Amino acid sequence: MSDTQSVNRRVLIASSHPLFARGLTRLLQERQAGDVAVLGVVSSTAEAFQAIQQLQPDLVIVDYDDETLNREDFLAHFMESSGKIRFVLLSLKEGGDQAMVYDRRNIAASQIDEWLSEWTEASPEESQKHTSYAAPDVRSGKMKHWIGAIFLVLLIAAGGIVGLRNARLLTQPASLQAIPIDQAFSVLWIAIASLFALITGLMLYSVIAFRRKKGDESDAVHIEGNNKLEVTWTILPLLTVIGFAVYGSLNLSEVVLPDPQAMEVRVVGQQWSWRFEYPEQGITSNELVLPVDRQVLLRMESQDVIHSFWVPEFRVKQDLLPGRETQLRITPNRTGDFVLGCAEICGSQHAYMTAPVHVLSSADFEQWVFDQTDLPDDPVARGEIWANQYGCLACHSLDGTRLVGPSWQGLYGSETVFADGASRTADAEYLRESILDPNAQIVEGFLPGLMPQNFNEILSDTQIDDIIAFIESLK
Amino acid sequence: MKDLFKYGLVRGLLAMVIGTLAGMALVSVVRLALGLSIWNPDAAWTVGGILGTIAFMIGVGSLTDWYRAASGKPLGMHTHDNPDWSPLQRYLGFSVDHKVIGVQYGVFGLILFLLAGTFALIFRWELAAPGLQLFTGEVESLAGLTGFNTMFSLHGMVMVAAILLCIAAMMNYLVPLMIGAQDMAFPRLNGFSFWITVPSGLLLLAALPLGGVDTGWVGYPPLSTRAPLGMVTFYLGVYLFGFSGILGAINIIVTILKMRAKGMGMFKMPVFVWASLATALIQFAATQLIGLSFLMGLLQRVMDMGFFDIAKGGDVILYQHLFWFYSHPAVYVFVLPGLGVISEVLPVFARKPLYGYKWVALSSVGIALVGYLVWAHHMFTSGMQEYLRVPFMVSTLLVAVPTGVKFFSWTATLWQGKLIFPTPMLFALGAIMIFLVGGLSGPPNALVSTDLYTHDTYFVVGHFHATLFGGFVFPFMAALYYWFPKLTGRMYNERMGKWHFWLQFVGFSVQTLGQMQVGLLGMRRRVADYDAALGITTGQLAVTIAAFVIALGIALMIYNLIYSASYGEKAAANPWRSRSPEFQLPSPVPVHNFDHPIEVVGNPYDYGLKDSIYVRPISTPAAPGD
Repeated sequence: MSDTQSVNRRVLIASSHPLFARGLTRLLQERQAGDVAVLGVVSSTAEAFQAIQQLQPDLVIVDYDDETLNREDFLAHFMESSGKIRFVLLSLKEGGDQAMVYDRRNIAASQIDEWLSEWTEASPEESQKHTSYAAPDVRSGKMKHWIGAIFLVLLIAAGGIVGLRNARLLTQPASLQAIPIDQAFSVLWIAIASLFALITGLMLYSVIAFRRKKGDESDAVHIEGNNKLEVTWTILPLLTVIGFAVYGSLNLSEVVLPDPQAMEVRVVGQQWSWRFEYPEQGITSNELVLPVDRQVLLRMESQDVIHSFWVPEFRVKQDLLPGRETQLRITPNRTGDFVLGCAEICGSQHAYMTAPVHVLSSADFEQWVFDQTDLPDDPVARGEIWANQYGCLACHSLDGTRLVGPSWQGLYGSETVFADGASRTADAEYLRESILDPNAQIVEGFLPGLMPQNFNEILSDTQIDDIIAFIESLK
Repeated sequence: MKDLFKYGLVRGLLAMVIGTLAGMALVSVVRLALGLSIWNPDAAWTVGGILGTIAFMIGVGSLTDWYRAASGKPLGMHTHDNPDWSPLQRYLGFSVDHKVIGVQYGVFGLILFLLAGTFALIFRWELAAPGLQLFTGEVESLAGLTGFNTMFSLHGMVMVAAILLCIAAMMNYLVPLMIGAQDMAFPRLNGFSFWITVPSGLLLLAALPLGGVDTGWVGYPPLSTRAPLGMVTFYLGVYLFGFSGILGAINIIVTILKMRAKGMGMFKMPVFVWASLATALIQFAATQLIGLSFLMGLLQRVMDMGFFDIAKGGDVILYQHLFWFYSHPAVYVFVLPGLGVISEVLPVFARKPLYGYKWVALSSVGIALVGYLVWAHHMFTSGMQEYLRVPFMVSTLLVAVPTGVKFFSWTATLWQGKLIFPTPMLFALGAIMIFLVGGLSGPPNALVSTDLYTHDTYFVVGHFHATLFGGFVFPFMAALYYWFPKLTGRMYNERMGKWHFWLQFVGFSVQTLGQMQVGLLGMRRRVADYDAALGITTGQLAVTIAAFVIALGIALMIYNLIYSASYGEKAAANPWRSRSPEFQLPSPVPVHNFDHPIEVVGNPYDYGLKDSIYVRPISTPAAPGD
């Protein structure tokens, strides 16, 4: 008996006649070596069923002339079993050289052609030639198909990735939130191009290589499927999906990262206009003006129907609801002019519900705030506003009380003594230097490093003059 | 004139007019009695619409048999074999034959499909260039921006109705044939399910002359509360349309579970039947939710009930949850039968078994189940609780798994096949490609962070048009060509069919990719005008041209189908050499489907297994059923 693992067809012979069994076995071994393996010979019906169960043969050849075998039992087993075993009933008496094939539940005589043609028709020389060439041929043909298909898949994937990378696909980013989002897009483009290539590559290859030849009316190979393969292409996408879910969650956490120092702007949407209120600066505007590199917390509400806040360059989007505040955090990181558009259908003029957005440098933003604020003409009064808005009075009292910093009462024109023992008259020039560079000279009895050192970025010259005028008024 | 009344449709329409007027009069009388102003259009159209629909259903004859049964009279309806009826009379009246109902669904569906497509062409014309082209009239009129908004709103909702009708057409016509049944389980309910779509479809369309709808197909309040009068019939029409979906689904489920031929176990059913079962399960259980949301939206508008008004203790986002709880699964209602059609067509033209039959069959059920858990991915920017976003992102991504099984199985079915490419096969292959584009453009909307960008842009528009063209339009057209010989007994014109395919395939590819690109470049959804500075003018023009190319292809199909139905070559019983039961019947299919009951003796897709068959007539005539 030859190697049963590598052969294509595994045959069981059922006959109690030694001549029939041995003869057929030898015939098969001689002419179909490597292609057909005889698993064994059984001589009774019971033995046959046991062997079928254990050995799972592809084909059972039953000696039709053998009266000791119970044909009806065979037929009944054959009709009821769920396996894919084929039976050949071979008779040397009835019908001469004809044989009957029983395919499960379906009696078909022509089936014999497929199974027996090679050893009934082909001469020994031909069949030998056939077996020695057939196997490698089939294998190399399959390899050729796989190589072609994989080549096509790689070609489409490469084309897709290069195409998506070079296509104009996104607006120019202008916020910190855009960085993780654009990164997620890049990852997605690669995944999309690869999966697209995998399916279309294999499909296109099939369309090209597996066309039916003219006049060929026959069916293709009978392959019903492969559960291992199905499990594979269920599990692998599942793992990919889990990977993307984790990635997406981490990515989102970067996008929504809050900054406790964020500047607040209240956004009010109504059919079909936008209004922006700056509570810290006391400004109301129809344009959204933001300082660069500072997170802004938009507290948004609608006056009527649902609207949606979207500046493409900032990437993120949030609906505005009537009667309920929604929030959005944006950190513009590029100065420039943008357009805010409503992204939720809100009635007839939805298309025109837009507002200009300007991202300015900090100094320009302060200038804008300064220009916008409806300020008193009196510099002293203005100075008081700044002192309140920029938090000066949290540390400097106006009534001589000692807080974290020196009180402003009677400060102007007084003689100030420093920690290093030096002293100086507190005139306008001294006060300006102390605001812009607070750690240069520390007043005796106070600690260095407490006062913000970036007022040169936050305050304009005029604002500083106003504050000094205010301090002067407290003599 | 009197001759016209033999058509159920004519009787129904007349009754509907009378019913509507009666309803309006009723409202006015009640208002007068209450000392209110006599005319309130919202209330009048609501009650008028409901009474008009009931009157239509009576007029068309859909309630007659039930009324007879309830009052103990013998049932009168045998439209199957009423020899006096002309074909026109049969198709324009109440029938209980699933094939007639299938055709009724299909024809009405195609009419709405063409109408909704025309709306799209109109607003695509507007969008071909920046600025306003067509809608330059007074803003709040149909000639102005409200007209534009009405066009895209009705394009959406009428398309939804059209798709549901076409899906019902396929399921009604094919399921009983494929499982070897004489008809559906509940033939009268089946007729009712179809006919209620006519008055509700008319109510939906009435939104146009009544001032339009400017909310998009979603109808979000509070915008819907202040929308034009058309909103009332829009809500009402869709609400009533829902009856058809729910009742039709019950019918499909029972038919599939109880009426299969002898020997047809669940895993011996054609895959289209599996897809229909999954579809019906979604329709049956989810349709209530859109009905509910539209009913509440209508009541908020007409009766000032503050369901979605925060000032009155309501919740503005609640509507969106209810709406999407149906409307996302609805997407799977639209695509699952189409995916079933692909699975039917591929093996026939590849002459190979459907690869992994059980996996393909169960993946439909898998998609249906996962589809229930993803609705809030439409709401990532809505202002719902932020912690809900990640779980819905995960569930959404999970849809990829059963969908992937289908793609891989289709690819493996083609591999080593012996492929030929008549029109249905071209449409099936095109469907796979387009549906793939639709599926793969999904993850940018599923990932929360990228969705914050793509939400409510044309990227989403491109994405769902690809899923619906790949999952519904292309497969539906494959089905039309594939089963055309069974339907009419004649063959369509192959040349025209191929021209149609290539026009539509190329046109749609340009359209969907163009939409995605302009969306990523900043094109918002549902806007009549856009800034030329976005740099999308060329892209928009290309999308518009592509839309017209698609329209040309579809016009060719309509001509082909109508012409071939009368003058096409006579079709053989089984022109595709299919194993499916319906192709073992003569073309066209006889009135009672199967002369003899059939039994299943093999597997549905065993192409390449020599001399095996799927079904055969039971040789001993069985006792007459029913």
